[in-house]
Amino acid sequence: MAGERAAGLVRELHRAAGGHLPPFRAEGLRQALEEMRALYERNQADVSEAKSGRTDLIFLIRFRHCCLLRNQRCVVAYLYDRLLRIRALRWEYGSILPNAIQFHMSAEEVEWFNRYKKSLATYMRSVGGEEGLDLTQDIKPPKSLYIEVRCLKDYGEFEIDDGTTVLLKKNSQHFLPRWKCEQLIRQGVLEHVLL
Amino acid sequence: MEPAEAEFLAEKELVTIVPNFSLDRIHLIGGDLGPFNPGLPVEVPVWLAINLKQRQKCRLIPPEWMDVEKLEEIRDQERKEDTFTPMPSPYYMELTKLLLNYASDNIPKADEIRTLVKDTWDTRIAKLRLSADSFVKQQEAHAKLDNLTLMEINTIGTFLTQALDHMYKLRTNLQPGESAHSQDF
Amino acid sequence: MSEAYFPVGPGLGPEENFLSLDDILMSQEKLPGRAESALPRLAFALGQGAGADSGDSIPEGSKLEIPLWLAKGLHDSKRRIISMELPKIYKEAWRTVFSADANVVDLHKMGPYYYGFGSQLLNFDNPENPEIAQTILQTFINRFRRIMDSSQNAYNEDTSALVARLDELERALFRAGQKGLNDFQCWEKGQASQITASSLVQNYGKRKFTDMDG
Repeated sequence: MAGERAAGLVRELHRAAGGHLPPFRAEGLRQALEEMRALYERNQADVSEAKSGRTDLIFLIRFRHCCLLRNQRCVVAYLYDRLLRIRALRWEYGSILPNAIQFHMSAEEVEWFNRYKKSLATYMRSVGGEEGLDLTQDIKPPKSLYIEVRCLKDYGEFEIDDGTTVLLKKNSQHFLPRWKCEQLIRQGVLEHVLL
Repeated sequence: MEPAEAEFLAEKELVTIVPNFSLDRIHLIGGDLGPFNPGLPVEVPVWLAINLKQRQKCRLIPPEWMDVEKLEEIRDQERKEDTFTPMPSPYYMELTKLLLNYASDNIPKADEIRTLVKDTWDTRIAKLRLSADSFVKQQEAHAKLDNLTLMEINTIGTFLTQALDHMYKLRTNLQPGESAHSQDF
Repeated sequence: MSEAYFPVGPGLGPEENFLSLDDILMSQEKLPGRAESALPRLAFALGQGAGADSGDSIPEGSKLEIPLWLAKGLHDSKRRIISMELPKIYKEAWRTVFSADANVVDLHKMGPYYYGFGSQLLNFDNPENPEIAQTILQTFINRFRRIMDSSQNAYNEDTSALVARLDELERALFRAGQKGLNDFQCWEKGQASQITASSLVQNYGKRKFTDMDG
């Protein structure tokens, strides 16, 4: 039945719960678009026949047109929902995505992410006075300027405000400025230890 | 809204502390604080009280209502009435948790207070669900949320607004017509 | 749960949401119908399989099973070429069951988009429309209490049995109730101010390991 491939794309994306980004299905998308092209061409031919008297074809033409629109809806919704997930990554992960995630994105999606990132950065520079304001920080109301963190993996040297560096080694524990480590916590490098 | 945000708002409430240091009045965006004199009670926001207390710079004087006898009365009243009774503070739950966590040594019978507040909370939440259900059953158009606190509304807020939204849309199904010919494929 | 990903929700009611994945899957569900006249060259396209002597044509009076999106697209109240019938769960016999006790019905098995699909069925000018609309609304109202209580009480336990009989809309509602409860419990235990790793990131971490295993 027409529309099955496009619906399959939607089904797979829907199954990936919690905003997870599954691999981009370039081949599935190509097949859906190909199906649309075929439907369109067959309708073009039948429309001219219908015009010259074959009115019994009208229902068939209408059927194909429905399938065409259905495919369009599935494809657009598929691409759009992926963008929503990719946008969420900027807020939850930061502006540089690990390879594991980038492998799941199409070239256009990577390009979109980069533009979104720039656009957000420009906006954040424009608010909150001269220095701008990082809106992705302090997602929860902060309790203190410094927090206790534990390293979950070997990360390497990490520079803090005053120019000094600390070595983030697995299982080491540190007392660091909250704003410097919030992103590393969200990325799973550090763990916030409540005192 | 998240509970952490409700708590953040609660931290602006004023409490009385007795400082053991002296400091001139300080001017902040949120208003002036102090002056602080050893042994002289002064009102400060909860966030500052906790900070000073953690550094052993003050003794906390619990709010008047944070008292076993008063809270027993409040709890009994809450159990007796069908409607929500007024709470002594719009942040009673947040303040109880914050102050008991950081200054329980300055609050007499801290454990009893904790239990009484929790009992009151449970009674109110049960009422809240009961009234949400009757609100839905009778398909009311509006409800009065008098005397409910932010934290209470919060625990059920998302659920309830979503449910009411669904109900509204299912009700529009009852009036066929105008928008019936949508073109979604 | 991710905190920054907000999917397009289902439209519910008279209008679908064009970009909602839920609505797309909902409108993928099939409903029974009948060809009111012969339909040339459609048997294969509709997956009916060609009849022995009819070639690729669907004879008049044939029974059909077509997805909702197609039924909506082909519906024409003036020239009725195909007519749609009610799936049994929206018929009178089942409506009686719902009005007796809506809570006993396994809406997941019977749906799983009971409310959304039912709302969309109203597009087909069925004479029973008012009763269908009323039943759907009343079912939601009657099942509300149980969903609220179970979602607000089940803390730290396996909820699969609680949601097993809920339709997709109810499950989303259940999740909203659980989030309210969990956030509150987390706050009570003093963990609300803790910054945590993004669930998106955690998923990729796990994923990477399973990829390596496989």
